[in-house]
Formats: sequence, C-alpha cells, structure tokens
Amino acid sequence: MKRRPPTGRRAVNLVVSIWAVGSALMGIAILFWIIFVVVTRGLGAMNLAFFTHLPTPPGILGGGLVNAMIGTLVLTVAATLMAVPLGLLAGVYLAEFSEDSKIADFSRFSANVLMGMPSIIVGVFAYTLVVVPLGKFSGYAGALALAILMLPLVTRTTEDMLRLVPNTLRESALALGAPRWRVTLAIVFRAAKSGLITGVLLAVARVSGETAPLLFTTLNSPFWFHSLGEPIPNLTVTIFDYAMSPYPDWQQKAWGASLLITAGVLVVTLLARFTLREKKL
Amino acid sequence: MKTVLKMERVSPPPLQLAPQPAKQRRVSARGDNAFRWLTFVCSMVVPLVMLAIGADLIISSLPAIKKFGLGFLFSEDWNPVTESFGAASSIFGTLASTCIAMAIAIPLSLAIALFLVELAPPRISRTVGTMIELLAAIPSIIYGMWGLFVFAPFMANYVQPLVGRTLGFLPLFQGPPLGIGMLTAGIILAFMVLPFISAIARDVFQLVPNVVKESAFGMGATTWEVTYKVTIPYGLVGIIGAVFLGLGRALGETMAVTFVIGNAHRIAASLFSPGNTIASTLANEFSEATEPIYVSSLIALGLVLYLITYLVQVVSQIMLRRMYRAWSVGL
Amino acid sequence: MMEMAIKLTELEPEMESSCESAQVLAEHGLESKITTRHLNFFYGENQVLFDNNLDIAKNQVTAIIGPSGCGKSTHIRVYNRVYELYRDQRAEGEVLLDGENILDPAYDIMELRRKVGMIFQKPTPFPMSVFDNVAYGLKMHYVMSKSEMADRVEEALQRAALWDEIKDHLHRPGTSLSGGQQQRLCIARAIVVAPEVLLMDEPCSAIDPIGTAKIEELIFDLKDHYSIAIVTHNMQQAARVSDFTAFFYQGRIVEFGPTSQIFTKPAQKKTEEYITGRFG
Repeated sequence: MKRRPPTGRRAVNLVVSIWAVGSALMGIAILFWIIFVVVTRGLGAMNLAFFTHLPTPPGILGGGLVNAMIGTLVLTVAATLMAVPLGLLAGVYLAEFSEDSKIADFSRFSANVLMGMPSIIVGVFAYTLVVVPLGKFSGYAGALALAILMLPLVTRTTEDMLRLVPNTLRESALALGAPRWRVTLAIVFRAAKSGLITGVLLAVARVSGETAPLLFTTLNSPFWFHSLGEPIPNLTVTIFDYAMSPYPDWQQKAWGASLLITAGVLVVTLLARFTLREKKL
Repeated sequence: MKTVLKMERVSPPPLQLAPQPAKQRRVSARGDNAFRWLTFVCSMVVPLVMLAIGADLIISSLPAIKKFGLGFLFSEDWNPVTESFGAASSIFGTLASTCIAMAIAIPLSLAIALFLVELAPPRISRTVGTMIELLAAIPSIIYGMWGLFVFAPFMANYVQPLVGRTLGFLPLFQGPPLGIGMLTAGIILAFMVLPFISAIARDVFQLVPNVVKESAFGMGATTWEVTYKVTIPYGLVGIIGAVFLGLGRALGETMAVTFVIGNAHRIAASLFSPGNTIASTLANEFSEATEPIYVSSLIALGLVLYLITYLVQVVSQIMLRRMYRAWSVGL
Repeated sequence: MMEMAIKLTELEPEMESSCESAQVLAEHGLESKITTRHLNFFYGENQVLFDNNLDIAKNQVTAIIGPSGCGKSTHIRVYNRVYELYRDQRAEGEVLLDGENILDPAYDIMELRRKVGMIFQKPTPFPMSVFDNVAYGLKMHYVMSKSEMADRVEEALQRAALWDEIKDHLHRPGTSLSGGQQQRLCIARAIVVAPEVLLMDEPCSAIDPIGTAKIEELIFDLKDHYSIAIVTHNMQQAARVSDFTAFFYQGRIVEFGPTSQIFTKPAQKKTEEYITGRFG
C-alpha cells in the first residue's frame, strides 16, 4: 500500500487551526473595538448637565438626557413587573405540573419561537393592540412590547432552573405535609434562587437595550412625563433620533447614551453570569 | 451539593401530634388545584401571544392584501404619495443581507466553536467563550452606532476600494464606495448572529461522546479530520438548528441594519449600493405613516417577516430538539 | 528474537529484578513489541500509575486484569498517546515501540496511532456508512485507487469476521448494526490501516454473549498478524483469549506471567485473592 505523506494532512490541519484561532481573535477584536469606540466617544458627552438636565431644542448646545434615563428605567421596570411574575408561574407549570403533556410542549415550543421573533414585529403588535385603540403613543404600549420580549426568556429559564432542583427535595417537603404550592414557592424557588435571578437579569439586560419595539409604541419625547399614558422619553430611541440628526452636539449625546446603555447591559449580563457560575461551584 | 445543604436549613413545620383534620386537608387540596390552574393559565400566555401576533398581523394587513393581492410580494414600487406599495425590494434586501451575513457567520462561528472545544486550554476557552457571548449582549442599536460612524467609513476607506479594485469586474462589487449599503449591513449582521451560532455549535461539539472522538484520534486523525469527518456529521442536526437560529436573528435584526443599509427602496445588483430590509423599512417609516393603507402595507411587510422567521424558527427548533433527544438516549 | 530482550536486560541490569515481564518473555523466546519502563501517570496532581514495567510480546495476546480503578485502561491508553486529548493528563517514563520511545514529543503521533490501533469499551461507529467507516483510516493514511480501497475494506471486514454478515449492506449507516457487529466494524476499521499493535479496552463489556464469543474467537485469529493488549475485568475472558497476563493493583503491576500460570498458581498473594474473587 502506498503511504500518504502526512505533510499535506498536517498542513490542512495547521491552516484550519490558524483559521480557528484567527476567528476567535476576530470575535474578540470586534467586541473590544465596539466597546472602545463607545467608551471613548461616550465619555466626551459625560458631564453634570447630561445627567441632570432636559434636552435642549435642536441647535441649542447643552442640556442632558435625564428624562430619557428615567424613562428607560421606568419602561424596563414596568415590563419586568408584567413579565416576571407571569413568566415565573408559567415556568412553574412547565417544570412542576406539565408532566410533558402535548400542550406544555407547545407552550415550550412557542416560547422558543417567540424568543427568536424579531422585536420590531412585537412592536407592530403592541402598536395595533394599544396605540391604535387608545389613539395615542404611550408608555403602556412600549412596556407591553418589552414585556412580551421578556416573557419567553423568563419562562424558559425558570423551567430549566426548577428542573435542576432535585426531586428528593420536593418529596421530603411534601412528606412533611406541606401543600404543593407552598413547597414550590417556599422551597423549590429558594433552592433555585440564583438561577431564577440569573434568568430575570438576562431578560432585563436583553430588553433594556431594545429600540425597535419602542419606535412606534412609546415613541420618544424631549420633556418630562407624568404617566405611562403618554410618550415616554427613553435612551435607545433618543440614540436613534440623535444619531440621525445633523447636529454634532446631538450625535455626541447619542454616544453618551450609547455608553450608558452598553455599560448597563454588559454589567447586568456579567452579573447574571457570575450569579449562575457561583451556583454551579 | 448546595441544594442539599439548603434543604437542611429549611426549618421543619411544627410537629402535629394528631392527624390533620379532613376539612383542612381538603382546603389545601383546593389551594393546590387553584395554584395548578393559575400556573397553567400563565403558561398558556406565551403560545396565545405568539398566535395573537400572527392573527393580529393578518387582520391589520387585510386592507393592503385586498388592494394589492399577491402582487404585493413582487412589486418593487414603494410610493407613499401615490399609495402604491410592493414588498419586493424589502424582501430582496432582507434575504440578500441575510445571505451575506450567513456566508460570513457560519464559517466564522464554526471555527470559533472548534477553537473553544478542541484547541484552547480550558481557562482560555472559558474567557474567550464569555467574550464571544458578550457580542450577543450588545444591543442592536449600539451595533448601529458603531456601524454608521466607525465601521461604514472603515469599509468606504479601506475595504470597498480594495474589493472594487480586485473583484470590481463582477457586478456585485461595482459602484462608489459609500460605506453604507448591503455589504456593510450583511457584515455587521454576521457579527451579531455569530455568537448565537457559535454557542450552539460549541454545545454540539462538546456533546459528541469522547469515545467517538478518541477512536478517531486513536487512528491518527488530525483535529481537523476528526471535526470534519466525525464531529460535524455527528452533530449535523444540531448545527443546522444553530444555523437556522442565527438565520432567524439575521432576518429580523432591525436597528443595526437601519443605521447602515442606506434605506433605498430598490433592488440593486451591487452589494455596495444602499438597499432596505423589511425590518429597516418598518423602523424608518412606521411612525411617519399616516394613511391607513400605508400603515396596512407596512404591517403586511411585518406579516411577511413574521411568516419567514416563524418558518425558520420551526426548522431550528425541530432540529435542535431532535439532536438533544437523540443524545439523551444514544451512546 | 531473544537477543533483544537479553540486550535490554544487559543494558540496564538494575531493571532486571523489577521487570518480571522481560524475564518471562526471554524464557519463552519471545520478542517484546512494546516495552514500558518506569511509567508514571498523572491526572493533574493525582498520580495513578506508579513505576510500571511491562512488555507486550510480539504476536501474542497480553491480558491486563485488575479491579476497577487500578489503572489498567490508563496504562494501555499511553501506548497510542490517546490521553493527550486531555490537557491535565501526563505520562512520565519510557514506552518503547520497536525500541523507539513513543513518549518522545518528536515521535510522529499520527504514525504512532496508525501503528497502534485501539478498540474501546463501547462500539464507536462514525456517523457514516459501513464502508466509509472502514475506508476512513485508509483515506487518511494511504493513497490508492477506488478498486484497491474496496479490496482492502473487504479484506479488513473479512478478517474481522463481519464480511459475510454485511456484504450486502455496506452503504447502511454504521450505527444501524447490532452492538456486536458494530464492535467488529470498529475492529475492521482499526486493522485496515495495517497496524502492528491492537489495544482493546474491555471490548466486550457492552456486547451480548454471542457477540462476545465471536469477538473472542476473532482475537485468537488476529494474533497471527498483530500484537494485542486487552484490558478486561472478565477473568474467564482473560483466561480464554490471552497468552500472558499482567495483574494491576492500585496503579502498580503486581504480577506478570503466562496466563496459565497466573490463573493456576499465581506467585503473589494479591493476585490469588483477586482471581479467586475475594475482592474487585
């Protein structure tokens, strides 16, 4: 038998290895490129006024985005309040009671599909569902859209985390005569606590940077807001509006807002990851 | 281990010397039933929302469907003044930018997965893996800012002139290097979906049983030969699932694309020229649309996107499910 | 043939007492194919093999027995350096294949693994057809025409006693065969590249009794062509298939000898306790 010289095979392997290392390095490079740009350009916008003043009319220098910061916070909190209790309970059903029925399977499948649904579609849904009947753009519509994006995330992580809780724990609690709902809420939830927190944090991180579902639901506003029934100023749509504007001062503010959003999202994401890792140890 | 410790911390309920009275037990059973129903109703919200979105999009786009019929899908015309709307350029742009994105993202993310699983020492693998995952955490709009102000000029100044000089004889790469346009959008999309594909591909590579890999290595195969001939075929369903998952993301990605694609309602041969996607058209025009037929046409665009992504998601879910099921049983 | 074993003992006389296997092989006039000297093995900080000295005789079957966790699998995994896939595993000492130290980083690992084939506990068919499973290694290591490749594949399948059963199903996926057939497919896949040594790590532990009988028969036939080292926890199997037996205990080689002797009158008390089933 004629031997195949291994040089060719080795060369191919080397090329692929270099390609693999190169790809990984490129991924890291892109990450740091983006972070670097956002930090260097965003820091230029940081001053006291940025955090304390309302936006100025176009063409007038100065001002800040304090209303948009509060607005983003309020929208995220509102969405979280809607989605988290619902998602936790839905996850409880899937993990504790469903016994892998067809309908639970469909629920699980829907959650996965909804997670991959473009967020702008959810925006359109909130528009027709809330904006059209009320006849005005409102914070409710935006918060609803964000909540719909959060819901499948919270549901699925809750289910996964509850499934990690060993059955012996449930059984020993039930054996003490505690009703099922108390066992779930008091003991299973407690055992899965860090996982559940991780799921919620990741969902919060995901939606707090969302723009598309707010564009035609919550809109944006340069003023203070007094209730969720009106357009709510928020950072992400502000970034979009300001970046597309011809004013350098606004563009710089858009970078400032980008820095805030990026930092917030990355911090929350990393926090979530470390919460989970701690649990695994 | 930790859960066991926690279990011990749970204080026992007060000792009951007599058995529970029957009445009280019935109450607790009723409470349990109510709780069960409550959670069941909650778990039905997600599927209902998913179906409601579809139904809502169909109803709201009925005026446009009635007016334009199937021709809506094939007309390139998009004119709010004459109220003549067609989805062709948006659909084309969506598919074109997604194709570019996948052409770049698939080889890159599989290579990254290969690096993370087979080549990197554990500690480096963990760190690099986290960083790649963080790419997925960066909000779309940040990619848009970076794309518009940094990456598009970079493309215009360095990449596009170079590509134009070398491959300019192809119609794909002709035209002025504007920076923004289909190619730039596709590349940025690739960076955005890369973490999704590589995360699952990494799982797939890791889930291939070690003995199978060992026996291939044991025959003198190189890392690449094992990956190409054994690992990838072994996890093919999973990798297809991962690719479709990334595909779904790329199809519906909105803000980053809106920033850099140029937003022109036309189908151009050159990847350097501006275009649009369904998502970018919605983002740009929805809040300005006033005429009902305009809004309805935009929602019809959304319906097209919903149907495409739904289909892609279904394929992806089926594939991933099949993979995890096969592996929970086999070998 | 004897010269080599003698030469070894002459070169390193201090080894003589510690290395039972070299003496035994010399007594039987056999050549050592794989010669292990002072092998220590570590999982991270944890040492699992201690000063192993062992000779695998050429064209003989050497059984490696011992209670689980004694390091017998670990030992043969050194022979084709498959442990190197795991970063925290590390071997020290000398393992000579035909007199060359395979632990030397300069030793061509691809060539080593062609020469030293391995069969695992569970059958590991690759996700491809029966034919491609066998042809896999051929394509890797040799250049040949399609027809020659078909001949080689057939030859290997015949040698693995599988040809008659599956000659009409060569394009079915390898995973569709029964467990015993899969294992023989893996043996065919290993021998098609013309190895010199076959390592078998409990090859029958996941196979039904009939499949096991076939594989044992096969092992007996294969030793004309290959030097075989087989790890087994099944002592009847070791007694049936092997010529020599090494008994491992807690990472050390307690005793080495002709199989008949080990199973009838072991020299060490530990060995006797093990084969009479008092532990392990």
